[in-house]
Amino acid sequence: MQVERAWRIIRFVITTIALFITWFLFTADFGLFSLTTGMVGSLLIAAITYEVFIARHQANLRFFIPHPFFLARYLFVIIFLLYQSSFRMLIAVITGRASPRIVHFRTRLRSDLARMILANSITFTPGTITLDLNDDHLTVHWFFCNTIHAKAVGESVKGRIERHIGKIWL
Amino acid sequence: MMLLMREILAMIAFASAMVFGIGGLVGLFRFPDPYSRMQAGSLCGTTAVFSIFLGTLILAPSAAMAARILLIIFFFLLSAPTGSYIVARFTWNAGTSQGKPLRNRIERIADKRQGGEAE
Repeated sequence: MQVERAWRIIRFVITTIALFITWFLFTADFGLFSLTTGMVGSLLIAAITYEVFIARHQANLRFFIPHPFFLARYLFVIIFLLYQSSFRMLIAVITGRASPRIVHFRTRLRSDLARMILANSITFTPGTITLDLNDDHLTVHWFFCNTIHAKAVGESVKGRIERHIGKIWL
Repeated sequence: MMLLMREILAMIAFASAMVFGIGGLVGLFRFPDPYSRMQAGSLCGTTAVFSIFLGTLILAPSAAMAARILLIIFFFLLSAPTGSYIVARFTWNAGTSQGKPLRNRIERIADKRQGGEAE
């Protein structure tokens, strides 16, 4: 019972801090009135939504608190991938040369947040779009398909991104 | 000098946004099956909007404004693929087939337009 209670408080505090940082970034105001209003609003909203923001079963801080250095590095990686994949897509649009297929593979990531980010990143990377995400099983439409073997597909579609994300979240 | 530099960089970002946007639109009409159309539309659309944000970030007048644009970019990077994922997921759950390999389809369409024998 005690553990449950502590976990509730931790989730509540993290939700409040996240909301307050967002408020502060949008207002960029050090005035007392602004800070008080933001704090009160964050507390109220956190009290209502902390169950949704961090689910009860995500019982590890590393499941949702990112490693700041790797997160910053990953942002640059994903922007590079975004432009690279768009160029490939432009070339495919012009030449009409592609081999689209629907492929399946599994992921090793454990937290909900990391899996969601992985699915979103797959949509960014060259010619892939996530169709379905069921626990650890991903269904992906791959535009430049050259194999349908699940392990080979997993390595070439998400191998690099998964290693990056595995360092940020568990 | 600095301002001119920033304006040129922003212009490059806006121009690339235009190229990607047009490319995505062409792909949307050119590809035969729904999944490929979704690929072209969503990916190039995301890159186009992202390039516009990058241009505005370069032109931002103050640090506070730049922080807000960064925040908007962050939320956009989260929401844009989620949107296309929802559409793709419902297409997949509705049982839409993935169609034949692309090259043959486009060639067949071209044959049909030239009045030749289609299959």
